[in-house]
Amino acid sequence: MNSDVQQVNNFFNNKRFRLSVILVILGLAYLGASIGLGFQTRSLLNVQNGVIWLIQNFIPNEASKGYWNEIIKQLFRTFLVAVASTTCAAVASLFLSIIGAKTLTPAITISWVIRAFSSLLRNIPIVAWAMILLFSFKQNDLTGFLALFFMTLGFLTRAFMETIEDFGTEKIQALQATGATYLQVIFQGLLPEVAVALMSWVLYMIENNVRDATLVGLLTGTGIGFIFNLYFKSLRYGAAGLVVLSVIILVVAVELISNLIGRLLS
Amino acid sequence: MIKPENQISIPTQVPVGPKFSIPLRFRDRRRLTILLTIIVLTYLTIITLPTMVPNQFKLGAALMSFAENIKIMFLQPHLANTTFVALLAALGQSILLAFLTTLIGSMLAFFFALASTRRLAPTWLVLGIQSVMAVIRAIPTVLWVLIYSVVFGLGANAAVIGITFHSVAYLTKVYADSMDELSPEIIETMQAMGLKKSAIIRQAVIPYMIPSYLSWTFIRFEINFADAIAVGAAAGAGGIGYQLFMSSSFYFNFHEVGVMVYLILAFALVLEIISYRLRTLTHQ
Amino acid sequence: MLTVNHLAKSYDGEKKSLTDVSFSIRPGEVTVIIGPSGAGKTTILRSINQLIRDDDGEILFDDTNMRDLNRAQLRRARCRIGMIFQNYNLIEPLTAIENVLHGCLGTKSNLTGIFSIYSNQEKEEALKLLQKVGLEDFAYQQCRNLSGGQKQRVGIARALMQHPKIILCDEPIASLDPRSTITVMDILRDLAINDGISVLINLHQVDIARNYADHVIGINNGQVVFDDRIAALSDTAIARIYQKDANLEGSAIHEF
Repeated sequence: MNSDVQQVNNFFNNKRFRLSVILVILGLAYLGASIGLGFQTRSLLNVQNGVIWLIQNFIPNEASKGYWNEIIKQLFRTFLVAVASTTCAAVASLFLSIIGAKTLTPAITISWVIRAFSSLLRNIPIVAWAMILLFSFKQNDLTGFLALFFMTLGFLTRAFMETIEDFGTEKIQALQATGATYLQVIFQGLLPEVAVALMSWVLYMIENNVRDATLVGLLTGTGIGFIFNLYFKSLRYGAAGLVVLSVIILVVAVELISNLIGRLLS
Repeated sequence: MIKPENQISIPTQVPVGPKFSIPLRFRDRRRLTILLTIIVLTYLTIITLPTMVPNQFKLGAALMSFAENIKIMFLQPHLANTTFVALLAALGQSILLAFLTTLIGSMLAFFFALASTRRLAPTWLVLGIQSVMAVIRAIPTVLWVLIYSVVFGLGANAAVIGITFHSVAYLTKVYADSMDELSPEIIETMQAMGLKKSAIIRQAVIPYMIPSYLSWTFIRFEINFADAIAVGAAAGAGGIGYQLFMSSSFYFNFHEVGVMVYLILAFALVLEIISYRLRTLTHQ
Repeated sequence: MLTVNHLAKSYDGEKKSLTDVSFSIRPGEVTVIIGPSGAGKTTILRSINQLIRDDDGEILFDDTNMRDLNRAQLRRARCRIGMIFQNYNLIEPLTAIENVLHGCLGTKSNLTGIFSIYSNQEKEEALKLLQKVGLEDFAYQQCRNLSGGQKQRVGIARALMQHPKIILCDEPIASLDPRSTITVMDILRDLAINDGISVLINLHQVDIARNYADHVIGINNGQVVFDDRIAALSDTAIARIYQKDANLEGSAIHEF
């Protein structure tokens, strides 16, 4: 066996060794995390029990059909709150991201302040938002709206800022070279170019917020999340199943509409 | 950072046909779609906003109290009902929960993605798996955890399985999408050499997948951390989320909430730094 | 060695991409297919190893009709047909030597492919092939860091690793600079002369065909309009191959 072949062997052995080390570390981390949490791996094999239970208990029955009106009403409410919070957040984010984007900011300090602010909003858990707001605004839709609004504001500001920065300095300079003012650059140059990308972010956030609205509702006692909790805790599983079904329909419908708009935009 | 699952590219539009006046803006499909979408969203928002404020609601007082609570949280954080060590342990528990669910989820999702990418799988299987995943994704994580806490009993098992469910559905889609981006020519080339499917996956698909696999898995870890907190609060599944829920809705102690939020923010900062490093690493 | 009889192929069921293509190629020769773009050159090449399922005709490779083979048999037959591409189609995140070694995976078991198990003999051969194409110093480079010409040479080494009887080259030099073009074409000609491998190349540059081909097949509008030794490739023949909207049923074919 010559030395060249030995070198190839070493190359493959090194690769295998690195892979084995990573696998061993992940395996140990898995064991550690399982023990730390008290998670039993064999419960993964019982996943089907949950699905079976879900199907058996959550089949809407005659009794649960009476809840249909209430569920539809709350579902629609939840959808509206999700849309309204995303739209309001999008408007505010657009403003923040334009003056915060490195390519357009009046002063770099402003850019950093906005960056930090959006990061703060994004990373405060939605539970904390919901709880603080619940204390001040009490149990109503406004609480859920504001919780979603703050989260979305954080996400969209960062996303919009990245999109606008991707637009590049050169195009902006080309417009400025023609003597365009700051506002002209934004409305004639920037917005038409990035509108499609921004819109796809907004649609994505609406999808996301419809789902998160359920969680917020659960915490703040409003909307679809609240009635799920109510039915679930009082063991009215048929009605709770109806709620889950309606959420699935809503989220899938929103996803389909947003995909359709996405296709029209491309 | 969450990214839209299908990003949209912008092909340039060229005006065609004879023109008698120079059009300043063409009324193309894209412009119309954006305009209509904005109109619909604005309309829904305008009819919703007034109905959200209940009768005899003192907006001023609520805002004052909100500002006061924010001030207490961020400027006067201190502990009353629990110790700092206990909070750190709770944070650790949430991190472990996020880690474990991401690990299990990413491994399962990888195989589902292989079976649901157009590059390797037949159309019926792709559509089948993607539809099931879309339904699983549509159910919020917290509902999954609540459902499993009835079956398994409240605890780690229910939390892990519930969050994993959502992770698998999410990751299957994004992994499959990034596999779809692989050029069909690459697969064709491997087939032309007579390679078996297993060899094609290992020798061609995986090497190309690694960067996007890592970045999506990390994004999911961030989402799972947020979910772990939410689930702890809404389903009583423990961790820092549960502590947060107790302090704010049981003890009404916003000083304590402040400490927890600072802890979570500190970990989020660590995650952002790692994600920044990961991005510069995979971009090379 | 390889004979194609009455090959026909249509896309979308209406527009014929190929109509009744027949030719055969001999071992140890460079055969070049020339013709305008869209004439069906790529379709012919990809039909030979059945990457495109043709609609009609037969492809005799070592006296077996490729179209009659089931999936496993086709896979085995493909192992003896090398192919190189305009876009090289290497696995760019992997190193040159790994890409070359992929060439011998077709004949081996699942586990070999999954765990990248190669014998010392195969490793030695892969190194020799890299040496043959002049890339022994780049064996451990990731392919994404190689130049176009280097990538194509790795592609050739990978095809040779299959111990092919025939190498199909789909526009191998279309993305290369003039110097790399000469290197790659020289290597391909050497394979025919020294190793007795049949080389079938799609080209659109006539001057390159003149310098390297033994035999030329001219394709226009999905039909063979020229099939002869390189010496017979006159200017009128070239004009006929590249003419637009030729009324091919009439004048063109009768001339030979």
